[in-house]
Amino acid sequence: MASSQELSEFLEGIERRAFKQTVYAVRDEHAALDIVQDAMLKLAEKYPHNPVEEYPMLFQRILQNTMRDFWRRQKVRNIWTSLLSSFGSNNDDGENRDPLDTIDVGDPAQNPAELVQNSQTLQIIEKSLAKLPARQREAFVLRYWEEMSVAETAESMGCSEGSVKTHCSRALHAMVTMLEQEGFSRKEIGNLGVES
Amino acid sequence: MSNDNTIDQNVEQEKQAKKLVSLLDENAQRLSMRTLKKLDEGRNRAVKRHQELQGATVNADGTLSSLTSWVDHHRIAFAGLILFAIIGAFSILHNINNNETSDAFLLGADLPPEAFVDRGFEPSLNKRVNL
Repeated sequence: MASSQELSEFLEGIERRAFKQTVYAVRDEHAALDIVQDAMLKLAEKYPHNPVEEYPMLFQRILQNTMRDFWRRQKVRNIWTSLLSSFGSNNDDGENRDPLDTIDVGDPAQNPAELVQNSQTLQIIEKSLAKLPARQREAFVLRYWEEMSVAETAESMGCSEGSVKTHCSRALHAMVTMLEQEGFSRKEIGNLGVES
Repeated sequence: MSNDNTIDQNVEQEKQAKKLVSLLDENAQRLSMRTLKKLDEGRNRAVKRHQELQGATVNADGTLSSLTSWVDHHRIAFAGLILFAIIGAFSILHNINNNETSDAFLLGADLPPEAFVDRGFEPSLNKRVNL
């Protein structure tokens, strides 16, 4: 049985990745925060007596299900919004934006030119990841980012191992193609993430 | 031959994916203060709920204390405490039972209760008991 301390350490280790993964999937930072917070609470509430080793898979499953719930609710909301949109105008242009939202906790020692280049590359990668079909993105994230085995990914996604391999391969191919379309050569793609 | 090619292709694919993921991972560590604060709040809420469900509380120094963890750490002491409580309860019940028997004996006897306090009646009482 995992102690509360172990749960806290586990959540601390995955929360940032989980947040980014959710942002790529739902494309809304506020909704992503809610989803991650919700998933954390669900894990604590539903599996308080499970060993900590089971938490990565359980958390991913809860996170994916919470995202699906969000999409379902979003679909219903969109229908109502489109029906009622003619009755009012949307004046929310972000006037009440908090400056804290834009402060990045980055490495101040990094070269500014390098920072700009990395940030541009990242933007393209993030965009390509966000553009992937949901199942391909899910497979890519679980298999490569969460470092789950093919079997674990298949179990978490509720599909066969063959499907996981196919989704992963297609996801990677699509991402590389998008990078090439943005002007990256094969060599540059091969050197991504390598310290200069 | 084609099997070797597939393996090579898979290794290459994995390498490429790892590179993309390493950049994404690096980026995930750079979040705004507000987001980090919100994540922190969410985590604390989840941990608090976990503690409630496990019957634990947070000590003043930030360490966790719970009834279950106390039992785990003091298993022998806990077992001794339970045994002591059982023996105590048994002996109290036994005493109550004895008192009831002696009260009934005193009230049901022909002699007045004072006679049982007087030492002079002892041989006569012993004789009655033997009968």
